[in-house]
Amino acid sequence: MAKRIAKRALNAILLSLGVATIAFVVIHVLPGDPATALISPRLSSSTIEQLRTQYGLDRPLHVQYGLWLWSLLHGDFGFSFSQQRDVLNILAAALPYTIILALTAILIELFLGSLLALLAVRTQNGFIDKIVTVGALVTYTLPTFWIAILLISIFSYWIGLLPPAQVHSVGAERLSSIPYAIDFLGHLILPALAIGLPGAAGIARFLRANLLKVYQLEYVLAAYSMGMSELRIFFSYALPNALLPVVTILGLELGALIGGALVVETVFAWPGMGRLTVIAIFARDYPLVLACTIVSGLGVIGGNLLADIAASVLDPRLRKEM
Amino acid sequence: MKLWAFLLGVLIILCLDLYGCRSADEDAREGTVVLGIPADISTLNPIFVQEVTEGEICELIYPMLVDATFDTTIGILRFEPSLARSWEFRNEHRDVVFHLRSEAKWSDGVPVTAHDVRFTYELYGDPDLGSIRQSALDGLVKTAGGSVDVDKSIEVVDDSTIVFHFQRAYAGQLFDAGLPIVPAHIFNKVPRPELRAYAPNRQPVGAGPFVLESWKPLQELVLIPNAESVLPGPAKLERLVFRILPDNLSRLQQLKRGDIDLMGGLKPIDVSDVTSKAPFVHIVSIPGREYFFLGWNNVDGTTYAASVGASIRPHPLFGSSVVRRALTLAINRKEMAASLRGGYGQEALGPISSLFHWALNDTLAPLPYDPAAASRLLSKEGWLDNDGDGILDKRNQRFSFLIIVPAGDQFYLDIANLVQRQLREIGIEVRIQPIDGSVFFPTLIEKKYDACVAGFEVPLQIQMDDFWNSDLRRYPFNIVSFRSRRVDQILEKARASVNEIDAAPLWKEFQAILHQEQPCTFLFWSDKLVGVNDRVQGTTIGVLGTTYHAWEWHTGESSGR
Repeated sequence: MAKRIAKRALNAILLSLGVATIAFVVIHVLPGDPATALISPRLSSSTIEQLRTQYGLDRPLHVQYGLWLWSLLHGDFGFSFSQQRDVLNILAAALPYTIILALTAILIELFLGSLLALLAVRTQNGFIDKIVTVGALVTYTLPTFWIAILLISIFSYWIGLLPPAQVHSVGAERLSSIPYAIDFLGHLILPALAIGLPGAAGIARFLRANLLKVYQLEYVLAAYSMGMSELRIFFSYALPNALLPVVTILGLELGALIGGALVVETVFAWPGMGRLTVIAIFARDYPLVLACTIVSGLGVIGGNLLADIAASVLDPRLRKEM
Repeated sequence: MKLWAFLLGVLIILCLDLYGCRSADEDAREGTVVLGIPADISTLNPIFVQEVTEGEICELIYPMLVDATFDTTIGILRFEPSLARSWEFRNEHRDVVFHLRSEAKWSDGVPVTAHDVRFTYELYGDPDLGSIRQSALDGLVKTAGGSVDVDKSIEVVDDSTIVFHFQRAYAGQLFDAGLPIVPAHIFNKVPRPELRAYAPNRQPVGAGPFVLESWKPLQELVLIPNAESVLPGPAKLERLVFRILPDNLSRLQQLKRGDIDLMGGLKPIDVSDVTSKAPFVHIVSIPGREYFFLGWNNVDGTTYAASVGASIRPHPLFGSSVVRRALTLAINRKEMAASLRGGYGQEALGPISSLFHWALNDTLAPLPYDPAAASRLLSKEGWLDNDGDGILDKRNQRFSFLIIVPAGDQFYLDIANLVQRQLREIGIEVRIQPIDGSVFFPTLIEKKYDACVAGFEVPLQIQMDDFWNSDLRRYPFNIVSFRSRRVDQILEKARASVNEIDAAPLWKEFQAILHQEQPCTFLFWSDKLVGVNDRVQGTTIGVLGTTYHAWEWHTGESSGR
């Protein structure tokens, strides 16, 4: 299994490089460059050319590609035009925030989705089941930015309980450890919910269907007849078997979120990969765009791999395939 | 049951803690002012700044020879001593001798000297560094090859005396000599090619009223008072926080909530919402810095671009000043200003701002909105609807053109839509094409367009060469390609004025020419709106920027939050 994982990891790296190469070509083919984005009456054409030289944009495309690839293979992602510092430092600062947000959102999806699915299944065709089913459908179809704005309006401006943006309050660095952590948690809740709620709705509907099937299986009925508690049956028998396909979905989603939840991070001013990618694209910051592409690609592939590993943990039959 | 009780208890404690953190947040705001800004800063080295906000922050950290003020009663820049305690002009105003304050020190304790000033200007003028402020050195003595001769143009007499040698006297000498100064002992440690990535760009050593406390990328940047500053002294605030909030709606909501104290870039439609829901926020209106216009390419862009500027022919539609005048008459600029800017827009007469009272030609008035007169003028020029399709034509050419606007900005699109509707009423067909922002100005500079909607922010000293000089290759930002020998003469004479106000008759004639020729249709001037929480006191927000003299700000009681 370790060999297979290593092989898949290597494939992931090569695939990401391939995606980044395509991104390199595409972004250079687009009109404009970082220097032209600065054009203004007070900037002479000679200064624009100086900046192009500084950024290495005056070199032929294949030379730029070769230099970029060579640097990348040595662990150097280059120098960001828009942020004026090393890309690696920029990624190192943004990635933890994205990972925390992504993991929290995934946990919300998993637990909330499971809870709603259980409620729906145990009250099948009843009032609660209908509320959950319809509510999940509506939530799943709502645009993420709309959910984000709704959450901010309710919890930040109407109730005034949670902060609307950023990762910390002004002056939070003066707080001691636990209040500092709670301050961070308070800022994390809304963006995580904005991502997690639609996901939880989708999982609830999907899991409900799976649970209905699992609850009809003999070993579950046998567990009931043995007098096991509802929660034990759910967590020990029903959920692990119903969860298998959901784990795959969550793995893929985690990978996609590593690339950054673009809209949510912008609305909540969350300093993660999504915001970074937007900034890089609009600034035509080639090194940063390419680095974000690579990270995003690795995230998707890595998420896929994690999903497969999780699935094999849940279903021993899949370990052989791994 | 026990599980649910436990979970409920955790939730209650969490809510209490969150409320507690909110109270801590309020306590932490004492003596702190928070500005909401839309984008992060890229550098705190004034040599490499590219955006307005980072430039303003650098001016709070680094010393400058002079401190600019704007006399709004007349409309001119005045300069007060700062790092330079005094200065005098010599050699028929071509040389400026600055005497520096000997007590000024960098925040690491090293004295600020004339060598720092010279070194900084070397960096500004170094083509290998590509500073966008290189143009500030254009007036200095040059080599035979045309580049700035730093050795001859900036002379260090001693640690406290420095002389700027200009090629000729002009009104902007003090402005150009007033750029932020960086410490030589910090930045001369590395080779020039490595300067852009150098760590002190993000951990600045300054001598101004503020120093950097912390900078969390994409989050916030915090300035605190520089206790050792004598330029003019340590800031009064405990902290000045620049909080990065990219979403405009979010910034607005936080301003109304009192989470941030200042926000620039307010739109007129937001004003009533802010003032009604957040009465503790007052609106500062900064007029006369930005104007919008319809650019008519006076030359045939296709021929110009194909010949790389060698062939200049009048545009088949807009080459005639009579046609351009008709277009202006057909557009209701007053209504446009009112509908798009509310009470924060004024119909524009020309490119000279109302800030410069001394230069305004009071005898001129904007052309009226008169579609009938427009149609008559077009008829005289031979534009008639010969084929009955509702669109004017002349020698088989339809009066139909493409107007380009920057993509992603609804404001420009709204202008274009209004223009399209109004010109259609007199038989002119307008098609609208949004163009990506990064190629919008290159398209205009290369003249590859017929018409455009654009806007410019004007500097605080009248500088028209870039926009109106007939040498289209040297001045590519004459985007409408207007050419007039008399205007060139006016620009040359105005450049030579040592005293800005002496050029008043020239600028008045300049406005009269543009009024007659209508090289573009000037639409309106737009006020810049800044929302300020009442708790922030001592502000002098105006034409010199949002954080102008922020060292004088202090916090007091607010009428609300």
